[in-house]
Amino acid sequence: MTAHLLKGAILPRDNDSARLLHPTRRAVPGRDRMRRYAGDDEVDMLIVGCGAGGGVLAQRLARAGWRVCVLERGPFWDPETDWVSDEAGSAHIYWNDERIIGGDDPVEMGKNNSGHGVGGSMVHYAGYTPRFHPSDFETQTRDGVGADWPIAYGDLRGDYEDVERELPVAGQDWPWGDPHSYPHAPHPVCGAAERAWEGALRHGIEMRVGPVAIANGVFGNRPHCIYRGFCLQGCKVNAKASPLVTHVPDALAHGAEIRTGCMAVRVEVDRSRRAHGVTYVHDDRERFQRAAAVAVCGYSIESPRLLLNSHGPGFPHGVGNGDDQVGRYLMVQGAPQVAGRFPELLRMYKGPPPEVSSEQFYETDPSRGFARGFSIQTVSPLPIGWAEHVLADGHIGAALREYMRDYNHWAVLGALSELLPQPGNRVTLADETDASGMPLARFDYTQCENDRRNIAFAKQTLHDIWESAGAQDVLTIDRYAHLVGGCRMGTAPDNSVVDADHRVWGTDNVFVADGSVMPTQGSANPALTVMALASRLARRLGRKHVATRPRTAAASARTA
Amino acid sequence: MAHDFTQAHHLPKVRGEHRRPADPYDLPRQRRGTTPQMHGRYPDYDVLEQTDAWDGPTRAVVLARIHDVPDRRFFTEAEATTLGAFCDDVLAQDSEPRIPVLAFVDAKHAAGQTEGYRYAGMPADGETWRLVARGLDDAAGDGEGGYASADDERRQEIVNAFRGGGLRGGPWDDLAISRAWSVVTRDLVSAFYAHPWAWNEIGFGGPAYPRGYARMGVGLSEAWEGAEAIDPDPVPDVKRKGYE
Repeated sequence: MTAHLLKGAILPRDNDSARLLHPTRRAVPGRDRMRRYAGDDEVDMLIVGCGAGGGVLAQRLARAGWRVCVLERGPFWDPETDWVSDEAGSAHIYWNDERIIGGDDPVEMGKNNSGHGVGGSMVHYAGYTPRFHPSDFETQTRDGVGADWPIAYGDLRGDYEDVERELPVAGQDWPWGDPHSYPHAPHPVCGAAERAWEGALRHGIEMRVGPVAIANGVFGNRPHCIYRGFCLQGCKVNAKASPLVTHVPDALAHGAEIRTGCMAVRVEVDRSRRAHGVTYVHDDRERFQRAAAVAVCGYSIESPRLLLNSHGPGFPHGVGNGDDQVGRYLMVQGAPQVAGRFPELLRMYKGPPPEVSSEQFYETDPSRGFARGFSIQTVSPLPIGWAEHVLADGHIGAALREYMRDYNHWAVLGALSELLPQPGNRVTLADETDASGMPLARFDYTQCENDRRNIAFAKQTLHDIWESAGAQDVLTIDRYAHLVGGCRMGTAPDNSVVDADHRVWGTDNVFVADGSVMPTQGSANPALTVMALASRLARRLGRKHVATRPRTAAASARTA
Repeated sequence: MAHDFTQAHHLPKVRGEHRRPADPYDLPRQRRGTTPQMHGRYPDYDVLEQTDAWDGPTRAVVLARIHDVPDRRFFTEAEATTLGAFCDDVLAQDSEPRIPVLAFVDAKHAAGQTEGYRYAGMPADGETWRLVARGLDDAAGDGEGGYASADDERRQEIVNAFRGGGLRGGPWDDLAISRAWSVVTRDLVSAFYAHPWAWNEIGFGGPAYPRGYARMGVGLSEAWEGAEAIDPDPVPDVKRKGYE
């Protein structure tokens, strides 16, 4: 438990990242002294992708003495020079390579949910870092929907606490799920969040400030938040957490190499079903890195794409895809947003978009007519985001301009509806290829009836909050947020892609450690749980040791 | 007519479905800096007076939108004429000064910049724009000049039909029309509301690094943030309405 936790300046024990950063410059120091491996050096762990999963795994394993190399498709960001306080000027921080989207309810990609470069999607996530609830790990048993994980909440609790200290997370004591405290105190909130709070309370809904991974106080050489509001465009301050500032500095200090501009195209697997390295494209040329083990951390679209594109002896349809499971059960959250209009100037662009949230509707309530639930959070779009909101409500021309001029009078609440995992919602390889010849990913998505009911109920609840708050007008947009699943963990190869130790079924030494392994998603933002899972995996891989034989389903079930 | 923005009577949904939005020329004229068409709610606020509080990379990106408007490279002259008129209609830019929205859309597609996804069965976004240009001219009928030469009322009908998915035949049969609407309108609002003149119009504080914000509560403003003004300037207003 964290009851004895001291708020404020306490640094984590086993991660010096915050102290390794420069006190006034924002770029990660030590890149010029970074260790470099040759292609035929056999590294102990070759990680594909330096986001929430890969960044944490690299830091943990490097600290444990492993020889770690990370292949990252995007650049090694310098927040000072590479990022701007500007929406349209930030297109380069998203994964904008083409992906085909289909199904009855296609999910838009790019800035909505896909990052690249060191730090991954956490470079542009809002910063909300709630834990999953214990129920999320057994929705099939409790609610008859979704799937049970092969691990339980208790297996992750210690890792949640560790990661919350490393980010660090700021917020009020949390009453929902497994009640807990946060290492940093809650941030002050802006006028828009005050209005949301009042409306919710009048409607019988409790909210809490946070939880956000934004330093609120002294934290090594990471500065305090300056409330500039551009969290989704990359934090130029180094106040908001992403692996770039929370784990990469410590990984470099312990000898990890982070090789940027490298697009992995195949995990190379031999006849004994062991991977011996990864083929990647750098400067338009294919190269190869040898490795004793490979961890795929490319998130829910790119991890399945890489596995499906990795044909080898014993894997004619892609590594780990013997039972046609790779890419399936991909999930997004329904994320409708409803804006309310108020007499006073609220200026929602000030302060971080993530401010206050509620998980009062997180669990199943049979009276609502659907299984599972949703969360409620402030979102606060900047002008282009606000214009998309106004457009979606059906206004163009003079009406669009009028609502836009009214920007400073509005506050916006978003819901995150837990949509259920379905086998047909999946990544496949398209017929078209990219410049390197690798097939494009195609992502098909269709909601089920439970999903539609959840989203409709959530949207109505947001409307009710604004009505209770006395809003003079409301505007609504339907959208999606986040990605999880696609390489889910389970108990057998016919229901999953990896076992409880993240090992791809049928291989000895290929792991997946990112959001794609999640069998369910709750209505929590996934970043913290992705990090906690990578932290747990690193603990279990142990010191300089990769087991040569895959665990059986029975042995891997429910162990921590 | 004076506006009291504590009330919401000026908002289209509050005014009722069948009423047109309020006439923006009843708003105050901009007295400092520029807004599109020079009407706005913050007549004495110019975000461009704050550029010395912005970091260098941000300042370069934002000021280029004013000082380095890209030349046309992607659209043909004919496409640009049609689409320029369409941009003006969707964004209600009916007089100078206009934000040169189509120039930024052109530059985006000339550079091959994508949004990271493409709907199955749809062409690349730039190609969608070209098909929309042909489709708008097609919908305008047999007139010589296509969409751009049609009268305001006809253009409004076409835009509304496009938005409602009600255009058929010719290029429209090669497009999923609701997807095409989403592709082009997203590009339009992104270019328009990326421009500091539009920030002046809506009272947005703009880039805020390294200065940040300190006064965040209901009704609070930084000293440099603009105040809402309520009344139009009486002299030009009276002239425009012909009351003299």
